[in-house]
This record gives sequence, C-alpha cells and structure tokens, in this order.
Amino acid sequence: MSKDVIGSVMVIGGGIAGMRSAIDLADAGYYVYLVEKKPSIGGVMSQLDKTFPTNDCAM
Amino acid sequence: MLTLSEVKQVTGDAGNFEVNLIQHPRYIDESKCIACGMCAEKCPKKVVDVYNTGLVNRKAVYVEYAQAVPLKYCIDAENCLYLTKGKCGNCENICPAGAIDYTQKEKSLTLNVGSIVLAPGFKSFDPSKLDFYNYASHKNVVTAAEFERILSASGPTMGHLARISDKKEPKKIAWFQCVGSRDVNKCDNAYCSSVCCMYAIKEAAIAKEHAGDDLDCAIFYMDIRTHGKDFERYYNDAKDKTGVRFINSRVHSVLPIHGSDDLEVRYVDESGKLISEIFDMIVLSTGFETPPEVVELLNDLDVDLTEGNFAKTSAFNPVATSRDGIYICGAIAGPRDIPQSVVDSSAAASDAGEILSSARNSLTTVKEAIPETQVVGDPPKIGVFVCKCGINIAGVVDVEAVRDYAATLPYVEYVCDNLYTCSQDTQDIMADVIKSKNLNRVVVAACTPKTHEPLFQETLLCSGLNKYLFEMANIRNQDSWVHKNNPELATKKAMDLVRMAVSKVALMEPLEEAELEINQEALVIGGGISGLTSSISLAGQGYNVNLVEKSDVLGGQALNIYKTASGEYVQENLSALIKKVESNEKIKVYLKTEIVSTEGFVGNFKSVLSTGGEEKSIEYGVSIVATGASALEPDEYNYKTDERVLTSLELDRKFIDKDPELSKINSAAFIQCVGSREPGRPYCSRVCCTHSIENALELKKLNPEMNIYILYRDIRTFGEREYLYKEARNKGIIFIKYKLDNKPEVVNKDGRLIINIVDHVLRQPVEIEVDLITLATAILPPDNQQLASFYKVSVNDDGFFVEKHAKLGPSEFATDGVFLCGLAHYPKPIEEAIAQGKAAASRAVTLLAKKKINTIGTIAKINPMNCSSCGVCISICPYSAPSYIEEGPFTGKVKINPVLCKGCGLCVASCRSGAINLKGFDNDQIFAQIYALKEAV
Amino acid sequence: MSDWEPKIVSFLCNWCSYGAADLAGVSRMQYPSNIRVIRIPCTGRMSPKFALSALREGADGVWVSG
Repeated sequence: MSKDVIGSVMVIGGGIAGMRSAIDLADAGYYVYLVEKKPSIGGVMSQLDKTFPTNDCAM
Repeated sequence: MLTLSEVKQVTGDAGNFEVNLIQHPRYIDESKCIACGMCAEKCPKKVVDVYNTGLVNRKAVYVEYAQAVPLKYCIDAENCLYLTKGKCGNCENICPAGAIDYTQKEKSLTLNVGSIVLAPGFKSFDPSKLDFYNYASHKNVVTAAEFERILSASGPTMGHLARISDKKEPKKIAWFQCVGSRDVNKCDNAYCSSVCCMYAIKEAAIAKEHAGDDLDCAIFYMDIRTHGKDFERYYNDAKDKTGVRFINSRVHSVLPIHGSDDLEVRYVDESGKLISEIFDMIVLSTGFETPPEVVELLNDLDVDLTEGNFAKTSAFNPVATSRDGIYICGAIAGPRDIPQSVVDSSAAASDAGEILSSARNSLTTVKEAIPETQVVGDPPKIGVFVCKCGINIAGVVDVEAVRDYAATLPYVEYVCDNLYTCSQDTQDIMADVIKSKNLNRVVVAACTPKTHEPLFQETLLCSGLNKYLFEMANIRNQDSWVHKNNPELATKKAMDLVRMAVSKVALMEPLEEAELEINQEALVIGGGISGLTSSISLAGQGYNVNLVEKSDVLGGQALNIYKTASGEYVQENLSALIKKVESNEKIKVYLKTEIVSTEGFVGNFKSVLSTGGEEKSIEYGVSIVATGASALEPDEYNYKTDERVLTSLELDRKFIDKDPELSKINSAAFIQCVGSREPGRPYCSRVCCTHSIENALELKKLNPEMNIYILYRDIRTFGEREYLYKEARNKGIIFIKYKLDNKPEVVNKDGRLIINIVDHVLRQPVEIEVDLITLATAILPPDNQQLASFYKVSVNDDGFFVEKHAKLGPSEFATDGVFLCGLAHYPKPIEEAIAQGKAAASRAVTLLAKKKINTIGTIAKINPMNCSSCGVCISICPYSAPSYIEEGPFTGKVKINPVLCKGCGLCVASCRSGAINLKGFDNDQIFAQIYALKEAV
Repeated sequence: MSDWEPKIVSFLCNWCSYGAADLAGVSRMQYPSNIRVIRIPCTGRMSPKFALSALREGADGVWVSG
C-alpha cells in the first residue's frame, strides 16, 4: 500500500447498495465521490412497486 | 455526486488511486434547473421510457421519475431534435430559468481517491432471444420488471392492473420462474438469481390485492426458494390465505391463441398428466445478469470474476475483490436481495474506510457556526417572501396580490416577491434583509418544506437567526400545481396558507438542539464469527472494543463447521481471526461472561458484566448484538437411538477430525428441513441445502462409489451455490423430493438402517438402506428476551431479533446506538455473517465518528408541575424517550430524554394532564393555524 | 345543495400524507381547492381538540391522514 493515504473513496453505482455505502463512508468522515451513469440515483429499487416480505412501498 | 458519469481508467494502488472519468453533458445547468417540467411539456420528441421498462413513452428532455435525485431534467442527446438535427429549441425558449445549455460538452475528470467501492448493479435477463416464450412477439408476455411497473401507482397504468394489448383486466395470470437462471441449455446462466421466487410471489399477491379474489395467479416453478427472513411465512400466506397457485412444473410450450390476445400454456403436472390452460397474461421471472459493460469495466480494473460473471470474493473477505483497495457490494457480488445488498454495502464501506482510517476527516470540512441573535422577549417582526417559481406559481396564483395581502397581516414587517426564492442570489438578499430590517421570524411562501425547508433554514442560520423561527406556506405543490384551472381560488388559498403560516411563526420560539457526547468505546456481545469480525473492524477504525462471550472459547458455531460453500476450510481461517482479535490491544475479551444489567441510551450505555460471579461495570457508546444461534437437537428419525444418525454439525466434526470411518461408508442419506419449515418453526434455515450437498460431495470425494441420497422439500442453493447442486446431480447423487405431509420414515430393521419414502418420480414407495443418515437440523435462536429488554428492542415470533427495517436497516435496531449481526438476525452462511459483522461495525462507526450527537429541536418537553405520573407517555412512546424522574423535587414525575425523542407528538396527544408540549408543533401554534382558518371556512 | 362546497381542514403527517400531497402536485393532479392543510409531525400528534376546534371555526369536515 502506498504511504500517502487519501481520505476519500469513490463509489461507483448509485443504486441502493452504492447509496448506502456512500452514506456510511461520508458519515464515518471520508469524502465520497458517488458516480452514476444515469441522470439520477436510485437504481432498480426505485422502479419497484412494493418490496417483500413486508409489502412496503419501495420508494 | 457525479451523475451521467462513467469510469474509464483506474491506476495506482490501495490508499492512492487515480481514476479517470467521463462525465456526459446533461445539456441543462443543474444549478439553474428548478424541475418545473415545462421543457418536457413542450418537447415534441417522444422516446421509449426506460424507467417504465419501455411500456410507455417519455420526452427527449426528461427526469427519470418524480422523486429522482437530483431532481434536475436532462436532455437525451441521442433523441433531442436540436442536438441531432439542429432544429427545434423549444425547451430553450420555454425554460423560465434559462437552464438549457446545448453547448455543454463531455468532460473528462481525474480524481484521486483512497479506495473504491463498486456497486454497478445488474440487468435483467432479456428473454426475447428465447422465442419459446413468445416474449418478443406477444404483448401480453411481459417480464417481472414490466409487471412491477404495471402494478405501480407511478407506472404506465397508474397502478390499474390491465394487460398491455387491449387494456383488459386480466382474469388469469401465470408466472414462469427461472427464466434466464438455472439454465445452461437455453442461456448460459447456471446460477440461481435468488430473488425471483419472492418477487413472483409478491407480484402475484399484490395483483390479487388489486384485482380481487377472482383473479387467478399461478406460479410455475422448479423449487420455491424463500430462504430469507420472514420469506417462508410470506410464501405460506400466499399459498394458503391469498390463494396463489403453485405448480411444480416446467412449462413445455406456450401458444398464442389466434383471434384473441390470450395464450395457451401446456405443462405436465405432478401426477404426470399433460394439462393445457389458457392465461390472459404471462409474466417471466427473469434473472440477474452482470451487464457486459460492467464485465468490461471489471476486466479493465483487473478484478477477477466468477464463472457467472460476478466479482470473485472469499467467504472470509466477502466484499473485497481480488484487487487491494477495491470493494464490492450489491448484485455484482452475486444475485441477492435488497437487505443482503444493504448489508454488503455497509460492509464495503467498513473495509474501504478501514484502510484509510489514518486519513479520516482529512478531506471533509466542518462549517463555522454564526452566533445567534437573541430574539426571546422581542415582539415578532416577520418577513414574508413569496416565490413565483418562474411561472410555476405566478402562472396561476396572483403573487403580487398575495404579497400585498401578507403585508396587512399582524407583525409582518417586510414583504417581497422573488422570481426564484431558492436561487443563491435571492438567498444572499434574504440574509441581508433579515439583518438590515432586524427580522426575527421568516415565512417563505413557495414550493414545499419537504424539499426546501433545510435550504431556507440554512439562510436563517447564516443571518444569525435560530432556524426554527421559520415556516413555509406550500403554495406550489399543494396549490398552484393542483388548482391550475382556478387561479382565483388558488390565489385565495395561497393567501389563507400565508396567513396560517404567519400566525404560527409569530408563536415560534428559538429551539435548542442539545448536544451530547458519544462515549468512544464499543461493546460487542457474542464471540462468534460475526462478533469477532465486528470487533476487528471497529478496532481497525481506531475504537476500543469490549468483546463479551458467554462460553469459555471464541469462535461460536463456526468451530463446528468444516468448509464453506466456496470450499474454504473454516478452522484455519477461524483460528487466524481469533488470533487477530486476541492480539489486538484495542480489543478486550471477556470470556465466560454475561450481561447482568444495562442502562442508558445511545452514546452513553452502562452495563454490568458478570464473569464467574465477579461483577464489573463498563461504559460505552454503541452496542453490537451478535449472540448467534445453535443447531436444533432433533427428536425424530431415530436420532439418539441409533448412532448412525447424525446431525449436520456432527458430520462436519467427523470431517474436521478426518474420521477414517467415513471413507468406509457405502451409502449415505441426508434428510433436509429437520425442524425447519414446519408449523412450529415456519422459517427456512437457509444454509442446510447447500451444506448437505457440499458434505455429500465431500463424501463422494472420499469414496466415489458411495451411493448418496438427499431427501428434500425444495433445494435452495441460491446464487452461485447452484453450481454445487448441478455438480451433485452430475456425480450421481440422487435427489428425492418429499412433502411435509409425507415425511420419510427411518426404521431399524434387524440392525439395518432403512428409510421409507415415496419417490416423487416413480410415485412409488421405496426402501433405501444406508450406513449413515445426516439430519439437516434447523437453526435455533437462543432466548434473547432479557437482552431485548435491556436495549428495548424486540424479537420476532421465531425468536430472532427484529431489525430496524427489513430492507434498509438489516444490521441495526430501532433503538439508536444498538446494532445487529450474524445468526441472531437470521440463519445465514459464514460469508453473510462476516459481511453483516462488518456492516454492523460500519453503522456503529458512523455514530462514533460524530463524537457528539445533535438532537432535533422539535421535541417534546414535560412540565413536571402538570404531570400526574400516570405513565401513559412511557408506555406509548415508540422510542422509549420518557422515563420517571428518580431523584430531586420532581421524583416520580416523567422527563423526556431529548436524545431519544423523535418529535412525533404521540405523548403530547395522549397526555391527559396537558403537561407535554411539542416544540415547533405546540398546541398554541397549531391552534393559531386553525384559528387563522376562520376567514377561509 | 348543488352549489354548496364543503370546507375541509386536513391534518397531514409530515412523513407520508404531506409528502403524498406534494407528489400530487408534482404529478399535476387537479383537485378542488377548498381544502387547507396543516402539517403535523405524525398523526400521533393529532388531538381531538384540533378536530373540534377546526369544526368550531367553521370547517365542514376534518381529514386526518398519516
């Protein structure tokens, strides 16, 4: 590992996994670049109607 | 946040990567776009809407969905008439904010980062190449993703269940499972996509909810895989209560019926009969695939892939890729559901942060606080800012009239209207006005507090006002946008809303956000594999850990396991992990120790530990519950009466001890679901199918001639575990399916060990003689009640802890500062327990890293003089914020812990003595709003 | 009765119904304007006194949603 450690992380993908990871890292004190290919974040989960097994709204 | 961006190249090493990115132009200035949507209204070009899975069209200038973040429009350069042909320009002409910029160019960026987390997701398998399903040629054959949009209120049919071809309400819908999964003949995806069984059941149940009981839903499946927490119950309910039909059959042909839009489905049922049924709609449960561009990216990054094109990981390092400093989460780690993705993503954050902990906070900035002006005791001096929002409000509401009306209201000192109140220059003007006019209350009449309250509060803070001296009147989302055709009434409503806001804000008081120190130590309860992992992650991020273990050794259930599903030896890896914990000076291990009592709350917990009767008190800020689970001791199948009948873990023990007797066995059987998926224990233990198959293959390795039978109900080798199932069948292991009402019978016939079972293929009773029977026993949680009461958390009907949110908060509790991992949450294999151990640590670090917590200002406060000590608030509060005062003049009365209070107001409404106020939503403030209605009603 | 318009006062939960009312706006759904919304942090905050007082002030109906 190189000596000069940089206190930032790049998260590639703005779906549910990427967003969760980015928030955790930012809250832990790291600068985060969240990179998403599409014009907005949210990923596949935003397209779902309800989620199992609680039938909660996915939005 | 970098949207419309793609990674092109990564150089460097862990701790110091250089990443080259391409950012595609949005052709809209994000800082100017106000998301009014006028551009899309005027755009003449219709394009297929990918968000709605192509079922409807959108415009070439668009926002993906109504709640998109960032809520900024975007021009689709491939379809925009101006950008492709140089004509049109409608959006530029209509945009009230001047945000359209056709000259934006693709940008190349270079960023330096310490680590990288990959979460590129998946794509659904495209069934159009399988012409057998008629997906491409028939409108009423849809994918599950498309059906999801059909069910959605924001979808093409606004949530009305109708088929695509003729908008008819379907009466019969069929789901086909495993389309593009578990199939090497028609596609190359041998793995199981893990989530399709559950989503198909969900879609069927919701469809019946929409359409009523006369809708017939049939799911055609190979094995039903409902191996997640509370999934089996969901399946049982769908089958027994909702009446979804489950048909264990692979459909053999689908024929469109000429002259109608229906489809004929032919299949062989369980009794071997050929059946033909006609359905209105067919939903294909399509599986996961890693998109080709992601495969390319991973190859470019030098990250190893599995045969299914997912990132390769080790069970003991489940979110680390083959390249140091690059971590993964979500579907790239293998097909998985949302909670598993969320667990992985926190785990990846933990790993990515751990290697950078020396540089923590080096690149983040902390804002300087501006001293607050004292306003208590001064008469209200209210400023009202009315927003036009371009023409979004002003096009309907007479903004000038609202502004002039506001000026007539009591205590209003200043009014103005703005084109865009939210723009940076207006914010600067607002701050100046507050200072120069000595305003001490502010009302903004504009869009909605849901999106813009924080922005305006920030401006108040910048001008030295307490941020709670603010109120918004919602005259866009709940007025101008919804009463377009009635400008007069909309204007009147706007005036009413402004009047209500003014009368409320006049009564607002500056509120304090209490600050509370967080104790920087952690407690981890349970020294099994997930507790060990959590401890190491926390210590790695620089925190002191107290690790408490009930027994006299570390390791937990993993001590009994031979190999992981990916074939890694558990014992070697486990001892390495234990050594790491024992040699870490930040981790203090307490063996043979139990928790006697716990008090306190997030940031300030205190527990008494008892080690062999000796008590010790410790203080800590966060707690991680990793209390594990154990194997059921069965009371059936001659266990205990015949030493040839073992449990899974006992067989593992023989493997670990290299028992020479094992290779001498001629025939062995495994019985699945022993104690799981039964009425008394209606959950699936998740790991047993894979584990038995793995052990069966190990036996085959010792003696390839051995006859091995696996007696099962559904084989649940989810994800890439499916390869093991395939290998087992290829190696001649015989799988026999049984039903709950027809369980196999084990008998001892003159010393011979015999199993009687009805073979599902032959439909005949068969007798199997074996030398060894292994029972795949259920995973049982310990009695968690006491611990649950210590931390005010709950356990479910099965005895597992209830997490904060089934999807989004799997590794934490509703009680702040308490986290969850491992088998205590739900049965799971080692790799998932490790991931969750890391995830719980990650979630805990986000709290510890703050050092202090700020409470919200809008919380409940009790006046002890009025409190009658009835205790209703204590029993009703979902967050355990109220408690009895134990000393001082008000002993016996109730106080509310400002740290735990979330400001819901439940206690305020339930207090019979009127002793509780809710700051910011107090009685007098709400009554002021109600009284201000007078003129309106 | 035909030209009579009821006046409705609604108490909406900040986290769900109030957000839904905003979304109705985003989707440009049109509905009659004789409704006035009071935002509350949670329907748990709702007190019978609020409903009674709204009715006393002349409201014809009170709608609590959350």
